[in-house]
Parts: sequence; structure tokens; C-alpha cells
Amino acid sequence: MGVAELLDKKLVLVTGKGGVGKTTLAAALGLLHAEAGRRTLVAEVDVLHPSLPAVLGGSGGYEPEPVARHLSTCNILWRRALEDWLDETVPVQRLVRLVLHNRIVQLFLDATPGVRETVILARIHSLAERFDRVVVDLPASGHAVSMLRVPHIARTLLPSGPIRERSEAVLALLGEPDTACALVALPEEMVVNETVELVGRLAEAIPELRPWGVVLNRASPPSLSDDERRLLDRLRAAVEEGGVSAAGAELVAAGRWEAGLEEATRRALDRLAAEVDLPVSTLVRLGAEGGWGEGDRVVRQVARSLRRQALREAAR
Amino acid sequence: MSLAALIRERRLVVCVGSGGVGKTTTAAALGVQAAKAGRKVLVLTIDPARRLANSLGIPRFGNEQVRVDLAGPLGVPPGGELWAMMLDNRRTADDLIARVAPTPERRDRILNNRIYRAIADNIAGSQDYMATEKLYDLSVSGDYDLVVLDTPPVKNALDFLEAPGRLARFLDRRIMRWFLTPYDEKRVFGRLMLGTSAVVFRLLGVIFGREFLAELSEFFFQFRDLYDGFRERHGAVERLFRDPGTAFLVVCSPEAPSVEVGGFFLRELAERGMPCPGVVINQRHRVRHAGADPEAELGALARARAADLAPHTAPRLLARLGAAHGRLAALAAAEDARVGRLLAELAPGQRAWSVPRLEGEVHDLRALDRLGRLLLAAEAERWPAAPPGERL
Repeated sequence: MGVAELLDKKLVLVTGKGGVGKTTLAAALGLLHAEAGRRTLVAEVDVLHPSLPAVLGGSGGYEPEPVARHLSTCNILWRRALEDWLDETVPVQRLVRLVLHNRIVQLFLDATPGVRETVILARIHSLAERFDRVVVDLPASGHAVSMLRVPHIARTLLPSGPIRERSEAVLALLGEPDTACALVALPEEMVVNETVELVGRLAEAIPELRPWGVVLNRASPPSLSDDERRLLDRLRAAVEEGGVSAAGAELVAAGRWEAGLEEATRRALDRLAAEVDLPVSTLVRLGAEGGWGEGDRVVRQVARSLRRQALREAAR
Repeated sequence: MSLAALIRERRLVVCVGSGGVGKTTTAAALGVQAAKAGRKVLVLTIDPARRLANSLGIPRFGNEQVRVDLAGPLGVPPGGELWAMMLDNRRTADDLIARVAPTPERRDRILNNRIYRAIADNIAGSQDYMATEKLYDLSVSGDYDLVVLDTPPVKNALDFLEAPGRLARFLDRRIMRWFLTPYDEKRVFGRLMLGTSAVVFRLLGVIFGREFLAELSEFFFQFRDLYDGFRERHGAVERLFRDPGTAFLVVCSPEAPSVEVGGFFLRELAERGMPCPGVVINQRHRVRHAGADPEAELGALARARAADLAPHTAPRLLARLGAAHGRLAALAAAEDARVGRLLAELAPGQRAWSVPRLEGEVHDLRALDRLGRLLLAAEAERWPAAPPGERL
């Protein structure tokens, strides 16, 4: 149970609290698959402002677009997914053309809850058949759960018909042993809380889906010896007593800032170990990272780190 | 406008922004300060971190407004009260139906309809709608001088603002009329077999299945004359959002994705004519002595205090402090550059308020008070008033 196992999955869904590095992880997994020679797609889900172009290239369009050898990206826009879905579902193409732009139908499909989620999941299903590996950068926790629970709701509400059938197919795909869900977290108390809750909510909303594990992003491994920590505390006391220059106080504050990150990492790992029955991998914090705004540098570093972890696991 | 004036003068403050940027904390911190300014305040939150909820004493279910005990140390004057409530989606939806339904029978039929249940409970977006619904109730109730709303985190800025419109659209009179026709089976064949209607109905039947359509018709039938109530409500919420007594406060952190989302919000609020005094930037790192030399500033002190510790502890820690300080400076510079780009998007009159990252997490009243005081004291930044030479 580790990174190597995650890299074997054909379909990986990545989710977690907002701003924790979901897109970075999804992109890094995509790079590793593509480098291993597998035809790979990294998809984001109906985003107004796609973030994959900044890290992997491409234009953020609906159709998968090659961005590197074996690697494509796409943005699953729900209206396009709906058109595709209707094309596949309704036997008479003329009928689709005739009514798709009918105002009532537009209003209805736009407003009916669950239609958006259903056609997006159907699209993921059909993309999974076209590529060796698909990594989906899902929306943040709550919205991801709302989306993933729709097939079950459809099963309850719809006794028959194509939505019902498609929902069954989606549930079967999500339940395959080759499908997994990866949760991304940060060493911050609120994020860990939400991750713990998310594991429970996913298990309840869609028990078929196997959570592979948690990736603790921006982790700071311990680096100070006990004596160094003691001295840091003494310097802090000196700052509070007023015997240190402003620049010196800022140096001490910088040291305490990093020591605090290390402490937060330790606490997060302890809590995840105690409250989540899943393997936890860590990605070490990278300098003045800015997430995907900084281009593909961070993604390549994360990919290298994942590959090293997979190799270490294999050696063990 | 300063934040101090904002919480004294406005009647509704809506905190918007992406997840994980301290929106709930900011809303609560502003609430505490408004109470200290003598106002009766309600902080309406969606899903607060457990410890924050506990420290405020908010029950997680039931739409219950509870008074937060601001005793002694915070120095709250008479009249100043802090109330908090966590939004319960299902409860809000049921209250709404109870209010617009003309009879108890109709109310029960709707509440028991499976489609209604699915909408009220399960579907993304209904939380946004219910937040605006409850917000309106509380704002116009006159029970509070100020309501501070912590909005659900959204992927697209549009989601929250459009929520009232989405439900009103679903209950659009044209959709309803169209569905009500086939509900009466006798008229179906008379009408639907003609023209596009027939095709549309067949298509929807193919997509959703006939049983579901029948159930949907029942749903619309129950809602047949409630549409005007929803529509009026939608209009009223829209007016409330544009009211000069309302302020949308964009909240973000200095991380790249959050700053970018902050920019979207500013643009969208401007396009919609929603009053927005500016942006709160939480958790900012600041370095004022870049390049400080650890040996010169701390060398003697560190050696003196390390006498009883393992050899080399002082030089090792000093090197470590220098490196950490360098990393902090790089982080602060990257944040300054991003915040500078955000400041450039501010309209005339809009301001940005930055607060430093606090040590430890903010989840008790004392920490909330401290954050709130920092917010009110934050120097307002605006474009292009940067000191010469600073990279903005």
C-alpha cells in the first residue's frame, strides 16, 4: 500500500480541501504515467479558469489535447459533456439536434439537479476507456462528495432509463479494483479535520470507491536536535525580555516559523494515523512555492519525489 | 472606507473567497469587533472548523441562533452582543416550503416528494441557495444590527451569487406550465403530440425515463402556484445584495490560487454592481530585515545561552536561523509580488487589508479578538501607493 500501488491504478480521482495541492498531485501523477510510456489523460472538471494549462500546457479545452509524449489534458465542461451524452444516449440524432437548443430543454437541463454531475461522470467513464491511465482533478471535498453521490441518488430516484443505466456503469467503474481515490491534505489542523471528515463522508456517499490513501503535502520533516530546540526557546525568551535587535528577533521568528511547521507536520501525521485507517504519504515542502502559478517546476519536483518514494517501497 | 467603519455602519457583511483562506475566522473576528463596538451581531457560518464552532458554542444542526458569551476580558459595552449560527440546509429548505405553501397538506406533500428531498439534501449548490435564503430572513428580521455571513467555499465565484437565480430558474413558470400539461393525462395527447412539445417530451422521456417524468410532473404540480413566492424572494435577495448597507468583503491568502480567485471575485462583484470595499489578505508573511546576519545579530547571545548544551549547538542553530530567514524572505517576496498584482485590480476607493500569519491556529475568543484587532488596525493598501523601489 503506497505510491507504487497508486501508480498502478488505471483511474485515480484526486480530491481534498481547497488549496491543498490537488492539481499539483494530479499533474505529477500524469507526468509519471506518461514517462512510463502509458497513454495518459489528466482531466479537470468543469472549471471556469483551468489550472492544468499553467502546469502541463494545453489550452484547457474540452477535447483531450496532447501536451507531451503520451500525455494529454482536458477540462470536462458539462455542457459539452451533455451534448456527447445525448449523442450517445438518444438513438435519433435528428431529435437531439432539434431539441437541444429548445429553450425549455435548455432551462430544464440547466436547472435540474444532478444532470451536470451525471454527464460529467459519464464523460469520465468514456474517457477511461480511451486512455491507459486517467487522473481526474476533482473539485474540493464537499463538491466532490456531492458529485460522487449522484449515481446513488439517480439509482434511488430513477427506476429505469439511460441515466439509471449510466449511473450503474459509473458505479461499476468507481468500484473497480483499478480505480482509486487519493486525498490531499496539508499539515494544518483545519485541513486535517476536513480530511478526516471527508474520508467518512466518501465512505458513506459512495462505499464502492476505494480510498487509496492520503498525501500530506508541504510536510516539514523534523530537522532540529533537542538541544537546538532548547536554544531556540532560550533565544525567544531573550527576544521577549527585550535584549535582541529587531533583525535578530526576526531571525529567531524565522527559526520558530520553521520549527512550527515541523511541529504541525508531526501533529498532522499523528492525527491521520490515529483517525484515518489509510496509508499516508508525505510530500516535502518546497521553498517559496506558489502552487500552480509558478509553472511546471513544482509539479516536476513533486513527480520526482513520488518516483523516489515508489522506488523505496519497491526496494523494501 | 476602513474596516472599523464598515463593521459600525453596514448591516450586512458577506465574506467571499476560496476555501482554506480563513473566511470563517475573518467573519467571526469581525463579528467580535462589531460587538465590541456596541452592535448586536450575528455571525452566520456554513461549516466551521469543529474547534471554532465549539469555542463559539454553535450547535452543528438545527438553525439555532446562540449567544456567544463575551464576558469580562473582551470589554464589550452594553448593547454589544455576539450571536452565532451554523446553517442547517435541510432545515432552512423545510422552513422555506412551510412558509410558501398555502396549506399544511401541500407543505407535507412537497416535503415528502422524493425529488424535493434530493434537491434539499444532496445536490451541490443547494447549500449556496439556502445560505442566501436564510441570510435574507435574518437580515430583514430587524433582530440584529449587523449580520456577517461566511459563504460556502466555491470553485467559481459565480456559484454563490447565482444560487437564488438557479432555483428560481428551475421553478420557472414556463418549465412548470410545460410539465403541468402532461400531468393531466387527458390533455397530453391533445397537445403534446403536436409540434416540438411532443419531441421534447419524448426526448426527456428517453433521458430520464417515464416514471421519473411523472414524478417530476407531480413535483411541479405541487409547486404550481408557489413560483411567484420564490421569484419575489429571488428579487428581494438581489436587492439586498446591492443595497448600500451591504458589503462584500473578498477574503484570500497570499498563495497563488487564492489570490487568483480573489481577483475573479473582485471582477465579478464589480460586474454585478455589488458593493465591495476591498480585500482582506490573511496569513501574510513579512520580512523587514532581509539579509540579516545571524552571527552579527545573535552570535554572542546564542553562545552564552548554549554553554550547557551539546558542542556546536549555537553555530548550527545560527546557520539554521539564517537559512530559515532566507526562505521566509523568499516566501514574503513571492507573496508581495502576487498581492501587488491583486492590488492593481482594485477599483478607486477599494482597499486591501493584510494581516500577518498568527502563531498557532485561531480557534478561541481571545485569538479571534486579537485577529480582529489586527484587522481593524491593518494599514489599508491600495494601488499604486507602494513605496518607491518596492516590487509591486
